[in-house]
Formats: sequence, structure tokens, C-alpha cells
Amino acid sequence: MKKIVTDFKLAASIAFVHMGAKLKQTIIATIGVALGITIFVFMVGFIQGSQNYMQAIMFEQSPHLRLFNEVKLSDKTIIDKIYPHQINTLGHEKPKDIFLNLKDGKQAVKDIRKNPLVKTVSGSVSTKVFYRLGAVSINGTILGINFEEANALFNLESKIVSGSFTELATMPNSIVVGTGLAKKLNVKTGDKMELTTEKGANFSISVIGIFKTGLVDIDNQQSYGSIKTVQRFLNVPSSYLTEIQVKLFDLELAPDQAKKLQKNYNYSGSDWKKDNVTLLESAALQNMITYNVAGVILLIAGFGIFNILTMMIYEKMKDIAILKAIGFSNGDVRRIFLTQAFVIGIIGAFSGLIFGYLISYAISKMPYHSDVMFSLDHLPVSFNPLYYIMGFSFGILTTAVAGYLPSRKAAKVDPITILRG
Amino acid sequence: MKVLEAKNLNKYFYNPKKFKVLENLDLAVEKGDFVSITGKSGSGKSTLLYLLSTMDTDFEGSININGSEMQGRSNSWLADFRNHHIGFVFQFHFLLPEFSVLKNVMLPGLKRAAFPPQELEQKAMDLLKLLDVQDQALKRATLLSGGQQQRVAIARALINDPLILMGDEPTGNLDSKNTGLVFDLFKKLSAEKHQTMLIVTHDEEFAKNTGKTIHISDGRID
Repeated sequence: MKKIVTDFKLAASIAFVHMGAKLKQTIIATIGVALGITIFVFMVGFIQGSQNYMQAIMFEQSPHLRLFNEVKLSDKTIIDKIYPHQINTLGHEKPKDIFLNLKDGKQAVKDIRKNPLVKTVSGSVSTKVFYRLGAVSINGTILGINFEEANALFNLESKIVSGSFTELATMPNSIVVGTGLAKKLNVKTGDKMELTTEKGANFSISVIGIFKTGLVDIDNQQSYGSIKTVQRFLNVPSSYLTEIQVKLFDLELAPDQAKKLQKNYNYSGSDWKKDNVTLLESAALQNMITYNVAGVILLIAGFGIFNILTMMIYEKMKDIAILKAIGFSNGDVRRIFLTQAFVIGIIGAFSGLIFGYLISYAISKMPYHSDVMFSLDHLPVSFNPLYYIMGFSFGILTTAVAGYLPSRKAAKVDPITILRG
Repeated sequence: MKVLEAKNLNKYFYNPKKFKVLENLDLAVEKGDFVSITGKSGSGKSTLLYLLSTMDTDFEGSININGSEMQGRSNSWLADFRNHHIGFVFQFHFLLPEFSVLKNVMLPGLKRAAFPPQELEQKAMDLLKLLDVQDQALKRATLLSGGQQQRVAIARALINDPLILMGDEPTGNLDSKNTGLVFDLFKKLSAEKHQTMLIVTHDEEFAKNTGKTIHISDGRID
């Protein structure tokens, strides 16, 4: 045991002398590794950071699953019912005029709430409306909600910029509007404005709050009212609900549960995976590109190590032969060169992590404004330790592979052919 | 007492075609012997020495050193054995250029790890003193003259008190003055320390002055 330790120490001391003699190349190879890890840590942190940011906003605004009704053609035409045993062709069939409400929606909400897998559930009414102030008329949607339920689902309270949701249920014709919409209409909390429904009914409403979700699409055209208010706008009974939104304890079960509930209640439905398919797909693609680019960079860094060690071994052929003649085994020689590879790899990887962190930190403090799809005021960067651990292990792995081949070559050097000249 | 005994040694070269270098060679070295191996170039004398030094493992027959058979041993066993029992001096000094003279001498001892480094350093200094190069101890090996370097190489070969000191034309690359110096050194080692030595040389003058001469021609002992 003690012998092994001294063997390692001796191999390491020889390795350090070799590296000292080739200090310039050693430093360049180390910088190669450091650069690879720096870019890896920074790229992964940045891309994951922005993905996490977008997904957090998206998912907070989207329920795990939702149930609604949609206009569709009936599966069976009336002719099919009368003449079921023949092939009927019907041209230009028109969709049935249906109410977009959910049949027995209130009861369904109560039932779903009892399901042990369900965390929260909320029934809501939504409709397209025109917001009007003076001569300006902007179309958008209004969502009638039960504030307690919807808040549990979407954490609405934290999205308030001014005013509040508290009076939504008690104050008649009160709404909370998105920041973008409020800006366009130039209304503030406490202002009054007009609202026209699809059917042409006009209402005077008061703005009691302004919210900002960070999703530009929603902030620019959506407002919240109480269920009762919106039902009155539409002139429908209090059982009228257009959408049921559900959050589960385990969001992975959403697609399954959505299917089950659709079948039970004969509603249409969707889940977060379907709703955010573009976001999830682009995230997967981004990840693929990131890891590939980082992999290529590390590969190049690996070639740097491979190169310097191979060169060193060709230069040191005679020294290797002498070491073998005075009693160093193949394993000892291999250890000398592996030690060099690992010293380069470990120093390179550590400094890469430090530089990667510093660059990520600098980027995360850089002001950056965007209102295209998500509202941003700085670039989101993830500092998840996992990426640092990954970067470090990739670095060591590359080093090990790049160091193994040359050191095996060194171990195989035949001392006789070299010493005899 | 026999320190080294070789029996029925056969050795082939395969490049460019199969060629028998050594043929049924038997050889024995007694403890304290000062033996020289002579022969024309190409006779196989160096090949024989590299077999006996355990560095070349591709042979038929048996080599027994200090009661241990060399045939069929693993690389690491042989490396360890070399480290403990065999000191080797080459035609060219073959010192490691990045290390100091002292570190070069100490290296086999550090590998053996039988003594603590301080004790080893003292021992290396004593050897350098014996070989009259102690004032060069802290210089880099490349800064020494050819004769000095060869003396340092001998010191390195002796650091682990080897059973046998082997030399492959140790004076082959030296001028006559240094040749005389190195030869006197070998004689001194033989006479004072009873060091067993096995030296390959083509220098007849050198061979005449050793205790025993083995002459090889065409892979056989004459």
C-alpha cells in the first residue's frame, strides 16, 4: 500500500518536471480545456436559464389540463341515422350552432375537486369583447373567474401591478386589465371605460387593477372579471361555464387525466404538453444544439491534450527507455503521462468553471429589454450546480480519453530498440 | 556462489527475416566476478547482455539470477527485479536532462523506496564523492562533460547496491583519458567492494584487464 503511494508520488514528481520543461505547451493545453468548460458552463446556463424563465411564466399561466367545448361537426349526420345501412354522402354540411358552455359545468367542477389527484380546479367563463374608450376600440378577451380558485391555480395576486383583485367579486362591472391593454387604452386603476360584447351589448365598466404576467400575448389583450359579471355581459344563466382548468399534484399525469375527464363528461380538452408543444419542442432542440456545440469544443480541447502528450512522448522516448532500464514498470510510465493529462484536465476544468461562472454572472447582471414574446429586463441565466458538475465531469472524461491513448503508447515503448540506438 | 546462470539460451531476430542470434548458449557468473564479454560487432554480445539484464524477454532457455528464474515473468515483476538487483551503464550516459545530477542518481532509489529520501540523498552524495563528481551534484545533467556524465551514470547504477553491474560498452564513447578513469573505477569497485560486474566491450585492452573474458562469435561462446 505504502509502495503504491510512493510510486504515485514519484510518477507525479517526474510528470511535474516534464510539464515544467514544456511549460508553454502545457499552459496552452490547459487553456484549451478551460475554454471548453467555460463555454459549456456559460452556454448551458444561459440557454437553460432562458428556457426555465419562459417555461415558468408559460406554465404558471397554463393549467395542467383544461376542459372546454368547441364547435365541431356532428359525428353522424341525420341521413346516417335514418339510413344506417348504406353509404351516404353529404356536401357542405354546416356546423351545428351550439352554446360554447360546458354541460353541467358546475357539477363537473365539484366532481373533479373530489378527485384525489387534483390539486386545484377552477371553472371560468371567457368571451371575446371590444374594449372601448372614446373613439378607440380594441378587441380582446375577458375571463370570468372565481378569484380564490383562479388565484390558487395561476397565482394571480403576484401579477398585480396596481390596484387589486379583492373587489372583483363585490364591485359590479369591475375588471382587472393587462398592462399592455391598459397602456393602449391609457386607463389607470379607478378609471371607467366601455365594453361591447360579440352580440352588441354595451356596458360601462371600472378598472380596479392592472396585472402583468410577462406573457406579452396575454398582457396586451386580456382582462379578468368575476364569473357573475361576465355571465351578465353574455346574458347567460349562472350555470354557464366555458372552461374548467385543473392543476394536478403530478403534472406528468395530465395527458392521461385529460383523456379520462374528456370521456367522462364528453367535453373537449387539452393538457399542458399539447398547449405548449412549440415551447417544449424548441427547448429540446436548443438543448441538443447546446450539448453538441459544447461537446465539439471539449473534443477540440481533448485534441489539445492528446497532441501535447503525444509530442512529449516522442521527444521523451529515450527518457522512457532509461526509466524502464532503471526499474520503472510499464504501469509507472503510464502513470507519469496520465498524471500530466489529469493535471492539465483538472486545472483546466476548475478554471473553466470559475470563468464560466464569472461570465454567466456578468451576463445575468446585464440589462436587456425585450417585449416580443416575454417581458424581460435582464437575461435570465441558470446557475444550477448540475451544469457545473456536468462541465467538470465532461472535462475530466475528455482528459482521461485524450491522456489514455498517448500514455498507453508510452508504456509500450520498447527500451532495447531505443537504448541500442 | 553463482549469481547468474544462463542455460540453453536461444535468441532469434525476425526482421528482416528469421535469424538466430544466440545459439544454445550457457553462461555462469560467480559472485564478485569481474567479467567482460567481447566479440566482433554483430556477434550477439550486446543482445546477450540485454537478455541477461531482463529488459529483453523474448528468448528461449533459462536465465537464473540470484535463484530466481527470469523466463515467463511479468513486466512489472521484471521492472521491480531490475530496480533491486541490476545496475546498468550504457554506451551513452543516458541521464534525464531535466533533472539535477543528484536527482538522476537518486531516481532508482526513489523508485525502490527502501530508504527515506534524506538517507538516499546522503548515499547518492557518497557515491558521487567516490566517483569524484560530487561538486557537480546540483547542476543539470546536460551541463556536464562526457566523462563526468558517464561517472554519474555509474553512480546511478550503484545506488541500489545491485547484485550485478552491467555495462554495454561503457567506455565506447569516451576519450582514452576518461576510458582509463572509468576502467580504474570499475577495478576499484571490483577490488574494494567485490562488486559483481558484467561488461560488454570491444576494447581488447579493457578486456585483458578484467578477471574473466567471455568471447562470443556468431552467437556462441568460443
